[in-house]
Amino acid sequence: MASNQSGIQDWWLQRISAGIIAAYVLLLIVLLLVNGTPTAAQWQALFANNAFKAFTLLALIATFYHGLIGVLHIWPDYIKNAATRATLNALSWLAAAGYALYAVYILFGLK
Amino acid sequence: MSDVTKSKPRPVDMPTFRNIAVSDLARYRLPLPGIASIIHRITGIALFFGLILLLPMLQMSLKSEAGFEAFRTIVWGNPLAKLVMIGLLFAIIYHLIAGIRHVIQDSGKWLDLQVSRSTASAVFVSSVVVTALIVWRLW
Repeated sequence: MASNQSGIQDWWLQRISAGIIAAYVLLLIVLLLVNGTPTAAQWQALFANNAFKAFTLLALIATFYHGLIGVLHIWPDYIKNAATRATLNALSWLAAAGYALYAVYILFGLK
Repeated sequence: MSDVTKSKPRPVDMPTFRNIAVSDLARYRLPLPGIASIIHRITGIALFFGLILLLPMLQMSLKSEAGFEAFRTIVWGNPLAKLVMIGLLFAIIYHLIAGIRHVIQDSGKWLDLQVSRSTASAVFVSSVVVTALIVWRLW
């Protein structure tokens, strides 16, 4: 992220990931508004579908990446102390990486 | 310019342009598009760290029928948990709608003050309405 000096790469990735997340969120909202609260069986059947599972993983990875780019751009606007900023950056990376591993485990790991 | 200032005494309430001091913060009001922008940032940060709560809930809801029911009891049975969930739902909806406005403004449209103000209001109103609609449907 720091390697892209002009920010063009972040700019594009932020919008591409936003498009993926928006499509996924809109799909979920439409499903919930149309069908109402799902039962356990309906909810788990939806996530047992491989296409939906793949879309979920894609949307979640896009979310973690989108959030990571976001917070890495926000910290330097408010945090002037270099050590605090480095700590927040490290925590943000750690959170995003942890989320990604956890999401793979939730969707494809052993139950 | 100097003639003007000499001929007339400077009005007390004439605006001066300088960086604001901490003591000015109470009187400083962010314009509406500025409020829309800062809430977009706040909801973004809240969602990024809110995932710490959301991911275990997803895992729980998918694990088993008992897990799904336990998740419902925890979220729907506890007013505080319910409030946090509605807050995160609002954050998603707000961030999405404000994000669309942001992308449109990036393309050079909707930039003059009046339009920027009215679209900022539209973001607030529509995100509250959509959130309320979903909460009402899922209640």
